[in-house]
Amino acid sequence: MTREDFRRELGDAFDSISGSPDPALSDRVRSALVEAPERRGPVWIAALAAAVIAVILVGVLLVGNPLNRGPLVPGGGGSNTPSASPAPAPSPNPSPTPVVQYICGASSSFTGTNPPPSALVSDVRTGAHADSGYDRVTIEFKNGQPESIELRPQTDTKFMTDPRGDTVTLAGKVGLKVVIHSADAHTSYSGSKDIKTGAGFTALREVRELGDFEGYVTFGLGLSGTGCYHASILTNPTRLVIDFQTS
Amino acid sequence: MISVVIEQRPQMLARAAEGDAHAFAALIQPLLDPAYRLAAVMLADRSTAEDAVQEASIKAWRKLGQLRGDAGSLRSWFLSIVANECRMVRRQRWWNVVKLAEIRPTQGAGNAFDAAATDLKSALLRLSPDERLPLVLHFYLDLPLEEVARTLGVSTAAAKSRIYRTARKLRSDLTLEEVF
Repeated sequence: MTREDFRRELGDAFDSISGSPDPALSDRVRSALVEAPERRGPVWIAALAAAVIAVILVGVLLVGNPLNRGPLVPGGGGSNTPSASPAPAPSPNPSPTPVVQYICGASSSFTGTNPPPSALVSDVRTGAHADSGYDRVTIEFKNGQPESIELRPQTDTKFMTDPRGDTVTLAGKVGLKVVIHSADAHTSYSGSKDIKTGAGFTALREVRELGDFEGYVTFGLGLSGTGCYHASILTNPTRLVIDFQTS
Repeated sequence: MISVVIEQRPQMLARAAEGDAHAFAALIQPLLDPAYRLAAVMLADRSTAEDAVQEASIKAWRKLGQLRGDAGSLRSWFLSIVANECRMVRRQRWWNVVKLAEIRPTQGAGNAFDAAATDLKSALLRLSPDERLPLVLHFYLDLPLEEVARTLGVSTAAAKSRIYRTARKLRSDLTLEEVF
């Protein structure tokens, strides 16, 4: 084998692993950089980090016993943690230190603190994370967190489209309806309206856009198994992340 | 576009150092493709790789004051931040999970070349991310040994040794001449 042969074979193997970056990556990075907080010196950052940690510690002490608390924090104003309808009673034998608490059968919602007039859906993607026991769907927003997001579990996979009112049946046995207000999914999103997951996914079977009308964007999610989920809002870029328990 | 960026690097670096985020974005724009490829190979997950590059870009922006040398040092400095970010992503497994789901085995019985390529890919994925790193830098991103060494934070001799040692894990019969 020559040096060139080895290099070419390695290059081909690397290519098949990495593929090419999303053409939007450059814009995404630029946007994140421009929106990132201004650069500061390390001392300032350390002081800020210490202050934040202190505030969190005080908060945890004031609230008390956080590990035995229900999985949801009821509340009104804007938040990146969901507020929810009453959740099922805690298990009599809870695991000692749960890392992620899944919501089973209860609705939850998020409220944006400073929402744009219309949050623009810019990407919808799915991921299988078998090693950690969950499948993930991510709905990304181009210009900030929308006014409200509701997650409504249901015991079947029949959903009604908006505004036509047709009934569609998604793959899986149970469902989760995601209602986003005020938003639109036609200005900045041109990807698939119906994503059927394949091998590797054990909980998430299908993600389908049910409606994009008068400021309401609705997605139906078809699920296998329990339909237990954990939802959060992440930033840079702003995105709704829903993980479905697979094990 | 890229040549323009390279020619204007010193000016853009100066503007970035003064706090111009747009200048910094333009400065690293040509590096995003290699950064993504490095991250995708280290993490074996394309979506997570893009997230890692974005996060690394923000960290690089915040650490710009720590850049030693001129604009010519930017690539190895930035890639080392990307590599560190990938390591961090892998450590935070509960949140940023690294998966191999996108790595699908070749369907059906391919020809001998396909089989060899698949073998090499499988062998690469069996390496640890840190073992893959010097190979990616040298063979995939075509960085010279000196720059690989700067990115890894080791001497040139050590970088060469790591590349050869890891290459031999892929093909045990490789000679030094076949690698370099």
